[in-house]
Amino acid sequence: MASSRDDFIIAIRSAFLKKSTQQKFSLLTLVFLSIFIILLSSLDFRVVRYLKIGINEVVYRSSFLVSIPENFLKDSFTGISDYTTFFKDYNQTKKELSKMKSNAVSNNIIEFENKELKELINDYVSTSNKILAKIIMDHDSPFLKSIIINKGSKDNIKIGTNIYDQSYLVGRVIEVNYKTARVLLLSDLNSNVPVTIAPQNVQAIITGRGDNIGHIKYMKDGFSNDLNNQSIVYTSGTGAIFKSGIPIGKLKIKEEGSTKKFNVEFYSDFSQLKYVFAEVIIKTAIENTTQNTTNNEISKPVDVKLNILEDELKIVEDTKLKFKQENENLKKIINNLNNDILDLKNNISLQKEKIEQSDLDKKEIEFLKMNLYYGHKCRRSFFNTGGFTVGSDDYKNCVLNKGRKN
Amino acid sequence: MASLGARNPFRKLYSLLPIVLLFISVLNEFDFNYLNLDYFSFNFPFILIFFFSLKDFKHFDYFLVFLAGLVNDTVVGLPLGISSLSYCLICISTSYLRNITIRPNIIKDWFYFLFTISLINSISYSVLNLFFYYKLDLVNYVINNFFTFLFYLFFVSIFNYYLKGVND
Repeated sequence: MASSRDDFIIAIRSAFLKKSTQQKFSLLTLVFLSIFIILLSSLDFRVVRYLKIGINEVVYRSSFLVSIPENFLKDSFTGISDYTTFFKDYNQTKKELSKMKSNAVSNNIIEFENKELKELINDYVSTSNKILAKIIMDHDSPFLKSIIINKGSKDNIKIGTNIYDQSYLVGRVIEVNYKTARVLLLSDLNSNVPVTIAPQNVQAIITGRGDNIGHIKYMKDGFSNDLNNQSIVYTSGTGAIFKSGIPIGKLKIKEEGSTKKFNVEFYSDFSQLKYVFAEVIIKTAIENTTQNTTNNEISKPVDVKLNILEDELKIVEDTKLKFKQENENLKKIINNLNNDILDLKNNISLQKEKIEQSDLDKKEIEFLKMNLYYGHKCRRSFFNTGGFTVGSDDYKNCVLNKGRKN
Repeated sequence: MASLGARNPFRKLYSLLPIVLLFISVLNEFDFNYLNLDYFSFNFPFILIFFFSLKDFKHFDYFLVFLAGLVNDTVVGLPLGISSLSYCLICISTSYLRNITIRPNIIKDWFYFLFTISLINSISYSVLNLFFYYKLDLVNYVINNFFTFLFYLFFVSIFNYYLKGVND
């Protein structure tokens, strides 16, 4: 009994400590070294971090080179399978494209409106710049679902940067190196994304299952009754980890007896990804032209709201004052115009009088002229007894009738 | 003498083939996932390390195995050192088996392999789950364990051909 125990101990000791001629280190040393590295990697020291980044850069590039033959095989395999369904896919894509085009127009309008509204409330406008990144490693490990892209901190990629396949969400960056970054896919078990299920507007959290289907978790009871297979799942933006409104997939309801299971069929096929888009967000504050720069440094949202209201009030008062002034000006103008009218009326009456006077003068002159010619015929005299007294109406009539007395 | 000198570099390269294959496998992680077979996965480095540390340990540098573990952790995205520890534990278990075995038997080795990888996967799962709060699917681990166990005999038959070449 004792000898068998001794044999066991000798075998164990030999296994751990004995180092053959070819070996540089005993296994016990290497085990301790492994444990030491595990402990070190769990602590976030700057030196360790930089060392890790260095190792990552070298290993990712090496892995990319080593994977070339396998990737060639993989591409050939997928190429052949794609070729068989080419025509069917083409027709489907054509239909989808026409739908997308119409959707794109309305999206542009909404985007523009959103920007305008943000400008109105003096919020910051986030201009997103999507950069194309190539996937250099997509080893579909059964345990962890992640990909490596060829963009890193050099290209402004940060931890948490959203990664897209066209406009569909793929995952987020969890590790950044200088020229590479690791993206945790939505299909990973460790991925949790706050989502909204439309059109029912139900809030939930979606977690990966390890395959191309996500699982809906943490949905409030009673909300699930309205959901159907046509419901669309997109990011809600809660927690500010993911941007809001990014499409993820379609809801799939699986009935298992009396219970329902809610899964999400991702729009993007993670096993077929070759290029992705990384969204680098740059936040730019909108300059306030009406206020001084010192007043702009307001951090509290309540103060910002009050300021906006004060501004509004000031604008209203200014407009009111302007209207009053304008009103008075108009009144003055009306008075002046009335005076002008009166003057003009006076002028007209004067003119009328003058015209009348001139008419009278004209008649008088005419009479005097005719009096010179025909006065002697109408005037009573020694030789003309049938004539009239000068100045009488008959005399006038006689002169005007050119000396005729009837 | 001249013929021996010409033969030696090739022989050395040939003897290093398992290590080269180990590094390629950890860098490439070839697992036929693009065949889209659900749950299908196996751990080729485990088979390779177990076999060569058991049968050809003189040409199988433990330190390089340790380094291969670090590379594997970097590629897969696990905390550094986890795979190194797993690989070193396989080497320890094979070293122990070698010490206690008088008459080697492939079936015994096969089941001992199952025991070893089950133990190592359990340790790995526990460390990742308890200390690093990784969410991992236990079913995947079990299936991976099973397929690795099944493929052992297939790869052993291939590796035996290689060993024959080295010994000759």
